[in-house]
Amino acid sequence: MTTTTSPTHSNAPVPPTPDGTAFLSLRQIHKRFTGVHALRGVSLDIHPGQIYHLLGENGCGKSTLIKIISGAQPPDEGDLILDGERFEQFSALSALGAGIETVYQDLSLIPNLSVMDNISLTVELAEHQGRLARVISHQVLHDRAVGALRQLQLPDDRYFLQTKIEDLPLATRQLVAIARAVASDARFIIMDEPTTSLTQKEVDNLIRIVKELCARGVAVLFVSHKLDECYAIGGNVIVMRDGQVITQGEINHFTKHQISELMTGRVLSDQRYRRNAPQAQVMLGVRNIGRDQGFDEVSFELHKGEIIGITGLLDSGRNELARALAGVAPLQRGSLTLNGKPIAVHTPAQAAAHRIAYVPEDRLVEGLFLTRSISDNTITAVLPQMCDTLGQIQKDKAARFSQEMTNRLKIATPDVQNPVQSLSGGNQQRVLIGRWLAINPLLLILHGPTVGVDVGSKDTIYQIIQSLTDQGMSIIIISDDLPELLANCDRILLMKKGRISDEFRAEGLQENTLYHALLS
Amino acid sequence: MTTMTSASPAIQDSTTPKRPPYLIRHPEFFTLGLIVILFAVVAVINPMFFQPGSLFDVLRAATRSAIFALGILVVLASGGLDVSFTAIAALVMYGLTKIVLLYFPEAPFVLILLAGAMGGLALGLLNGWLVKTLAAPSLVVTIGTQFLIRGFLLAFIGTEFFMNIPPSMLAVGQANIVSFQNNQGLQTALPYTTLAIPILALLTWWLLNKTMMGRAVYAMGGSPAIAERLGYNLTRVYLFVFGYAGLLAGIAGIIHVSSTRIANPFDIVGTELDVIAAVILGGARITGGSGTVTGTLLGVLLVTLINSVLITLGIPTTWQKVIVGAFILVAGLLFSLRSRQ
Repeated sequence: MTTTTSPTHSNAPVPPTPDGTAFLSLRQIHKRFTGVHALRGVSLDIHPGQIYHLLGENGCGKSTLIKIISGAQPPDEGDLILDGERFEQFSALSALGAGIETVYQDLSLIPNLSVMDNISLTVELAEHQGRLARVISHQVLHDRAVGALRQLQLPDDRYFLQTKIEDLPLATRQLVAIARAVASDARFIIMDEPTTSLTQKEVDNLIRIVKELCARGVAVLFVSHKLDECYAIGGNVIVMRDGQVITQGEINHFTKHQISELMTGRVLSDQRYRRNAPQAQVMLGVRNIGRDQGFDEVSFELHKGEIIGITGLLDSGRNELARALAGVAPLQRGSLTLNGKPIAVHTPAQAAAHRIAYVPEDRLVEGLFLTRSISDNTITAVLPQMCDTLGQIQKDKAARFSQEMTNRLKIATPDVQNPVQSLSGGNQQRVLIGRWLAINPLLLILHGPTVGVDVGSKDTIYQIIQSLTDQGMSIIIISDDLPELLANCDRILLMKKGRISDEFRAEGLQENTLYHALLS
Repeated sequence: MTTMTSASPAIQDSTTPKRPPYLIRHPEFFTLGLIVILFAVVAVINPMFFQPGSLFDVLRAATRSAIFALGILVVLASGGLDVSFTAIAALVMYGLTKIVLLYFPEAPFVLILLAGAMGGLALGLLNGWLVKTLAAPSLVVTIGTQFLIRGFLLAFIGTEFFMNIPPSMLAVGQANIVSFQNNQGLQTALPYTTLAIPILALLTWWLLNKTMMGRAVYAMGGSPAIAERLGYNLTRVYLFVFGYAGLLAGIAGIIHVSSTRIANPFDIVGTELDVIAAVILGGARITGGSGTVTGTLLGVLLVTLINSVLITLGIPTTWQKVIVGAFILVAGLLFSLRSRQ
C-alpha cells in the first residue's frame, strides 16, 4: 500500500469578484487560534436551492469554518458577503436573522423543552435581538410550530407538540431541528453529520425533505464522512484540506478516488484490504443463541484468523447480538464454545476473561473516559498488570505500555498523557481498539469501527484490522457500512428481524447485491 | 418513496415517540396522591382534624416555606441551587426592622415590604453575579454567601432579638381575612399574609410560562451549552433566577417578622433543606430543567401537612424528618424511573 502526494487540483480557485447570484460568499477567510492557523484564506460560494457536501479530514478546518459561517466565532481576516453586501459584526443572532441555521450533531435542541418550544427557540431570539424581558404568546408558538411541521408532513397534533424532545427517537428529533430551520425561514441550513445514527429508510426520508426544501430555494450544506451517501444525494462538493478549500464543484465531476485524494493528499486504494485467509480451526462456535426482543436461533462458526461481518437494518438484532457476545446484554438461550470448550459469557468481565474483546458502537458514550489521558484509557483493561504487589499503578510501566500501543496503532499525539478528547475521531477510535488489543484477545468484536472517522483514518484502521489476523486473531465486524464489510471480511452474515437470513462470501460480492438483500 | 397510510408519512412506525406514563410526565400528581393518602390516614385516626381551623393553621405554617419554595423552584429549573436564601431572609428581616424602628417607625407596611424585596433582590443579584463570574457550581457559591451574609448579620447588625416591631408590620401580621371560634372555643383565623401564596404563585407561574425569560430558564436548565450557542444571554438568566429567589426571600422575611412579632436573627436559617425537599417532592429534578408552580405548592403542602398531622396525632415532631425523608426516597425512586424510559 503506497501513499503518494496527489496530482494538481482539478478546479481553478474561485474567481475574485463575488458571484452575483450567490446567497453567501466567503472571500479569503483567515482564522488563527494560539499557534494554529486553522483557516488559510478560505473562499467559497453558496447559491440558493443547492446542496453542498463539505468534505475533509478531521482537523482540516471544517468545524471552524462552520462556526464562522454561523456566527459563533468572528474571522480574523476576510469577508463574508450576504446577498452582495459585506457583513460586519457577524454574531450568532445576526446569522440567524440572515437566515443561516446550523444543526449540530446534538441538534441544538433543548431536551427538556417540548417540540413546540424548540421550534420557536431561534426565531423568538432572533426577532427580538435576544431580549428576554418580554411576554411570549402561546398561540403564536403553536401556529408557528404547526405551520413548520405541516410543511415537513410531520404530525401537528397537541400530543406531538407537547412531547419533550428527550422522549423522541433521534430521527424524529432531527426532523424537529429541520422544522425549526423552516420556521425561522432559513435560507441556508448547515447539517453536521446528520445521518450518523439513522437507518437507511430514515436517511431516505431526510433526503426527500431536504430536496423539497431545496426546491423552495433553501441552500443546504452537509458535513459528512460518507462519500457514498454524498454521491447518492447529489449536488455540489466542497473539499477542504489544511485550512483551505481545495476545490468546489458538482460532485459528478469527480470520482470517489479523486475526492479521497483531494481530501487526504494521498492516493488511497479502495480495493479489498483483506489479505490473509482463515485457518481451518474453529475459534468460536455459536449455537442457537437468543435473547428476548433481540435475536433468536442464531448459529454460526468463526474460524481462527477469519474476519466475518454482520449487518442488517437497525431492527435486525445485529446490535443486540454484538452486545450478547460481549456479555453486556447476555444471551438467554443457546450456547457458545471457544476453541471447542463451552463458555459462559454473562458479564463483560467474563468475556474479557475468555479473551473476547468488544469495542462498542459509541466511543464517546460507551467507551472512552473523555477527560482522562490517552494512557489511562489504554491501560483500562489491563490495570492489574500495571500494578505492583500493593495494588498501586506503576506510572512508568503504564506510560511505556501506552506509548508502545500508541506507536503500534499510529495514533497521532505528542503526549500520551494528553486527554483523549483532544484527539480526532479516528485517533480516538484507535485508542479504544488499543485498550482491547492489550488483553491479547482471541476474538475481537468491532461494533461500527469507523463511525464518524475520516477517510484517511479509516484506511489506517483497516490496515490495523488486517494485520491483527496475521497472528490468528478472529474478528467480527458489525457495521452498516457495506463497502467497509466488502473490503475487509471473508464472509458477511445478513440479519433480518432477529435471525440470520443470508450468508455471503465477501470476495467478489457486488455492493448492489448486498444492498438489495439488505432491503428486501 | 412508498406511499404511507398514516397521517404523518414523515415518521415511520419504528420511530413513533414512546410516551412515558402520565404519572411520570406529571409528577405532581404523585405528590397529590401522597397528600390524599395522608388525609385518608388522618380521617381514620382523628376526624377532628378536618375543621377550617386546621386548614388555616396549615396555610399559616406553609406561607413562609411556600414563598421560599417558589424562588428556589426558579433557581432549580435553571439548573442551579441556592442555599443562601434563608440567610438573605434573616438579614433583610432583622436589618430592615431595626432600621425602620430607628429611623422611620411609622413607615407603612407596603414601603417596608418593598424595601425588603429590594434588599433581597440586591443580595440575590450578588449571588447571580458571583455564580456567573466565578463559574463555580451554584451550590458552592451559595454556601459561601450563606455564611457571609449570616456572618455579616450577626457580626454587624446584631444578635439580640427584640419584640417591639414597627406598628404597621404588627397590624398587617394580625389582620385576618376571616376569623371565628371553633368547636373548642378557640379563636382561629386566616391572616392576610397568606395571600402572599396565591399572588406570588401566580407571578412565578406567569414568569416561567408566559415570558421569554421563563423559556430561557428552562433552556439553561436543560442544556446551558446549547442555550448559549443558540444566543441566550446566560448572564442575564443567572442574574434573574438568583435575583428572584433573593427578592422572594426578602418578602418572606418581612412577612415572617410581621406574623411572629419577633425579630430574631437566629431564625429561619437552617430550614433550607425543608424548602428544597418540598420543591423536589413537587417534581422538580435536582439536575434542572423541570418543575412547576403547582408541583412546588403541592410539595410545600405535603411537607407542612406532615408536620401538622403529626402534631394532631400526638407524634413527636422529630418523626417529621423521618417521614419526609421516606417520602423523598420514594419520590426519588419514581422520578428516577422517569429517566430510565
